[in-house]
Amino acid sequence: MLAIINAQLETISNGFIKNGKILIENGLIKNLGKNIEIPKKARIIDAENKIVTPGLIEAHSHVGISEIGIGPSGQDTNESTNPITPWCNALDGINMKDKAFEYFRKAGITSVNILPGSANIFGGKTTAVKCKNTVVDKAIVKENTGMKAALGENPKMLYSQKDKSPSSRMGNAALMRETLIKANNYYEKLNKPNKRDKNPDYNKEVHSLLPVLKKEVPLRIHCHRADDIVTAIRIAEEFDLKYTLEHITQGHQIMDFLKKKSASFAIGPTMHYGSKVENKERNFHTPLLADKNNLQFCLTTDHPVVAGHYLSMTAGLAVNWGMKRKTALKSITLNAAKHIGIEDNVGSLAKGKDADLVIWSDDPLEFTTFADLTIIDGEIVYQRGEDNETN
Amino acid sequence: MKLIKAGIIYTGKNKKVENGEILIDDKGKIVEVTKNINLKNINENNLNIVDYSDKVIIPGLIDPHSHIGIWGDGEGPTAYDGNEIPNPINGNIRSLDAINPQQRSFGSAREGGITTAQIIPGSGSPIGGLAVTLKTSGNIVDEMIIKNPSGLKGALGENPKRAHGKEQNQSPVSRMGNAALIRNYFQKSKEYGKKKTKAKKKNENFDLNLNYESGLKVLNNEIPFRIHAHRHDDIVTAVRISNEFNINFSIEHCTDGHLIADYLSEKNIWASVGPGLGVASKVETAEMTDKNPAILQQKGVKVSLMTDHPFLNCRYFMAYGAVVHKYGLSKKETLKLMTSNPAQMLGIDHKVGSLEKNKDADYLVLNSEPFSYKTKIEKTFIEDKEVYNRKNVEWL
Repeated sequence: MLAIINAQLETISNGFIKNGKILIENGLIKNLGKNIEIPKKARIIDAENKIVTPGLIEAHSHVGISEIGIGPSGQDTNESTNPITPWCNALDGINMKDKAFEYFRKAGITSVNILPGSANIFGGKTTAVKCKNTVVDKAIVKENTGMKAALGENPKMLYSQKDKSPSSRMGNAALMRETLIKANNYYEKLNKPNKRDKNPDYNKEVHSLLPVLKKEVPLRIHCHRADDIVTAIRIAEEFDLKYTLEHITQGHQIMDFLKKKSASFAIGPTMHYGSKVENKERNFHTPLLADKNNLQFCLTTDHPVVAGHYLSMTAGLAVNWGMKRKTALKSITLNAAKHIGIEDNVGSLAKGKDADLVIWSDDPLEFTTFADLTIIDGEIVYQRGEDNETN
Repeated sequence: MKLIKAGIIYTGKNKKVENGEILIDDKGKIVEVTKNINLKNINENNLNIVDYSDKVIIPGLIDPHSHIGIWGDGEGPTAYDGNEIPNPINGNIRSLDAINPQQRSFGSAREGGITTAQIIPGSGSPIGGLAVTLKTSGNIVDEMIIKNPSGLKGALGENPKRAHGKEQNQSPVSRMGNAALIRNYFQKSKEYGKKKTKAKKKNENFDLNLNYESGLKVLNNEIPFRIHAHRHDDIVTAVRISNEFNINFSIEHCTDGHLIADYLSEKNIWASVGPGLGVASKVETAEMTDKNPAILQQKGVKVSLMTDHPFLNCRYFMAYGAVVHKYGLSKKETLKLMTSNPAQMLGIDHKVGSLEKNKDADYLVLNSEPFSYKTKIEKTFIEDKEVYNRKNVEWL
């Protein structure tokens, strides 16, 4: 049993609690508030009136599958031999010893959604893990959080080099549709086997798309350019899918259209440059308008495109450009959890949620602030030393 | 004449002036910076007084290692002009000839407070070509130049090995090859120089060779050798080769510097550290740490910060400074690493890099103290001409 006392609690879901306490038991938040009772047997951590927030959440990253500092041997992001690889699973490529996980703990990031890359039209299953120093199966928050899909430059540039389809945006969309139709046919046969049509043989290509068709998980569609965003929505709606939109760099151009949609949006990596034509308009315009138009959105670094341990800096810069501080903080905690679909477990300081939290040396969005203590599932996973030890 | 009344002035030379004044002449040069400027000899009718008493004024930032204008920023592969790869030795190459001053990255630089940048060829080759230093505002690159050339780019470590060895199956394939090619280049430049001198003496015809001309400029200490080196042993190799030829040099990136800080402090070297806010994309950058600039500076290495744009988008240079400040340098010291230190390293400190008498009035107007997420660069001035105003950002 662990208790944090004398803390300024930014709960995210239930306002700000001055001089608050949090009681942690069995890895969960048992209670929190100003005047809660702390049992004598509890180990006490005095937060010394510092700010405590829920652990930060990165909703779109490649940590563990696009490893840092070890070169090509650690690049497992894309099975880039075939544009349709929905049978791949990010989970099978995650190295929890990737140094980036250590940096994340030091930066107060406690949960991440890990997605395959955007080389393929269907890239594979996405998975959410805690940034714990353990085997991946013990770090899972939710094993299947979605199916990665991609439109725009990446698939068409890669496969046109190989003289394969897709070599155009039309090809991207056509392949996506065709594959979904195949999956639908397969699904219908599985559902209503008649005398002529026996149960179809197992087909790895389309079988892995069944959770998407059943709306059990969202299709997470990579799209930067405005028309790619619109194509993503067009196809998702044609097949009546649950979907999220990832990146939406040019979302600012079509905000009136987007605000009518009930999807969740992962915006970023904003601190990067125009590495491609389709993302040349990178800046804080899209997140600001997303805020003004009340979209459900989160901010992401797309680690390692932008180093994930600067997630709080991304939110700080969003405030610099005019976003409300509260919204910015929510966009890297509760809204990120909602985007991933793990908001019942994490994303805010609330009774019954996982005890993932951070004690900060100052305002968590300030560029010069340290995470002093990071806790995941009630365990201390990082404590700042004398030497400001960090990445 | 313009008189700025500022709440706070950071001069760029480890000095902070509260309630200070800056007097600027009509040519965009600083006349004086002090607490109370004596205006006795100035015609008050010609004096434009600007009240920045609630603002913070800092020098325009200097980015000593950038690829703005030569590296596609939203234009795709058509604009990748940062490396001339087929040949590993490119003394004849000049970044100047590829710079697109209308690229959006120049706008990002002004937005990020960078008023001067050294634009340097990439690190794909052991000898990459000549760098140029210029102001970040203008349409005609030749009119933006402050110093040309301002260095010869060299590269050690993974990049030349990959670009040549792995991708083209030619030398250099190894770190030994990198070093051998660079040595060979300077040796040949030396011989070229001797022949050139001899021919001149005898008044004989002599075939000009642009490749070796650049090497000769380095050997004659007209320009420094600017060597890309991340891994500690690459840094040591860079020092070794430079000392062998007795040339001026700067270490570019110096990522592992913190591992050999004692060695580097003995050598009295210049190091440009960055790109900040990065991620270890290669094995040679695995030991990257935000503490590096502070460790090196505290050991007496002469440090500048760099964006290496696009590898850190130059509009976020101040955020990089904030992280350096976070790990132990004061605001004044950190600003020095982004202004007067790079100016000195580039040999342009008579003109830019600090808010002092006779220097260009390149300055930024901030709404509050630097290095906070609440701090905004409101305006950027080059030679007292406004080149960026946050109010005019069309999407705000």
